[in-house]
Amino acid sequence: MQFSRVAYLIRKEAMQEWRQRSTLAGMLVYVVGASFIVYYAFRGQITFPVWASIFWIIILFSAIHTLGRSFMKEANEQYYYLRSMIPPIELIMAKLIYNALLLFLLELVIFLEMQLFFGIQVDDTPVFLLTLFLGGMGMSNLFTLFSSITAKTGNLVLLSVMGFPIILPLLLLILRLTGLSDVEMMEDDRWVNAGAVAVLDLITFALALVLFPYLWKE
Amino acid sequence: MFEKFARQFWWKALSVVLLFYTVIYGFLVKIPELNILEESIRNLFFHVPMWFSMMTLMAINLYFSIAYLSNGKPRNDVIASKTATVGFLMGVLGVITGAVWARVTWGAWWVFAEVKLNGAAAALLVYAAYFILRNSFTDEEMKARFSAVYAIFAFVMFMVLINVIPRMTDSSLHPGNGGNPGFNSYDLDSHLRMVFYPAVLGWIGLALWISTIMIRLELIFRKKHQLD
Repeated sequence: MQFSRVAYLIRKEAMQEWRQRSTLAGMLVYVVGASFIVYYAFRGQITFPVWASIFWIIILFSAIHTLGRSFMKEANEQYYYLRSMIPPIELIMAKLIYNALLLFLLELVIFLEMQLFFGIQVDDTPVFLLTLFLGGMGMSNLFTLFSSITAKTGNLVLLSVMGFPIILPLLLLILRLTGLSDVEMMEDDRWVNAGAVAVLDLITFALALVLFPYLWKE
Repeated sequence: MFEKFARQFWWKALSVVLLFYTVIYGFLVKIPELNILEESIRNLFFHVPMWFSMMTLMAINLYFSIAYLSNGKPRNDVIASKTATVGFLMGVLGVITGAVWARVTWGAWWVFAEVKLNGAAAALLVYAAYFILRNSFTDEEMKARFSAVYAIFAFVMFMVLINVIPRMTDSSLHPGNGGNPGFNSYDLDSHLRMVFYPAVLGWIGLALWISTIMIRLELIFRKKHQLD
């Protein structure tokens, strides 16, 4: 495995995304629209647990939308080109890293948006940011891998069907962690939770690397 | 090795004998005198073994999914899919027996403040998605390959839901969790154990037997219609 090639692939992903800015802009509008609907529905007043759960639900849906098309571009002739040029493990690694970063940015946008509307105070900012990153990484690991399955079938509903149940354990842990980053809790508890999410992320990352070659063939 | 074991007679007979023992002696055995629980403690011989059976079958499903990915034999996929079916069935039975027990002891069919219930429901959802995934392909080879990959993830999440999250939270009403005493502390004279362990073996045996029959039926069906 060559890391320089992985880095190059990540750049390629970013450039491709940038060339099709309309999808990116569409994503932003989707996110802003979703937060605004929530803002309107709750009349601008919300408690922290409700806020946290709605926040993660918005992230979940935007993640499904964004990552669901990660292999759409490769569904045509590009597939044969990429398959003959690079080992699948490098491709999936590049996609996973790129998608994790993209999702993290998207989460920050959603967070700032919700901050603007609701003015939620997060007690422990480092833990909250860590939660955002770990959560985004876990979602990107699972949804990126499964989107290569749905790209083959062209059935986008399938991603939600597979993705929602399988993301549940991760989401439960993240919701706990988000709650913990606000409420006064024991320090230990916080790190045990963050550790559990990190371990789950690593497991799914490793599994995605190992299993992707089986999906990436005719 | 598995094939030889699946065709043997002794363990099927043994599981039937053990289940008769469970059903008959399970209702006669002397139980510890406890408030609220009272006679419902006998559900221990039915509710808990369901989860053991589900875990066993899902572990077999995992094994054959990995086997399918490594050698691509359609037979492994058949075994994986049928064990998942029976495992799912055992999970549903576990939820039903659990709900009945919860109604008697906790006062409601479903209790939110109970991580194990929600974990079990989520685990069933994960495997329900496995069957939907299987049925959304027409190409047999693609179906087998993709569902094998999904099954590996499903098993990891199943373990997290059933074994990791309940240990991290305190909000459980189950014995042995959330600061509640486990059943082993009630069972000082080992009367319950005398039925419980045979019951676990018996139910696992029955579940395995059902899945071997389903696997054989499917393999015969495929042979008859020359699908492989």
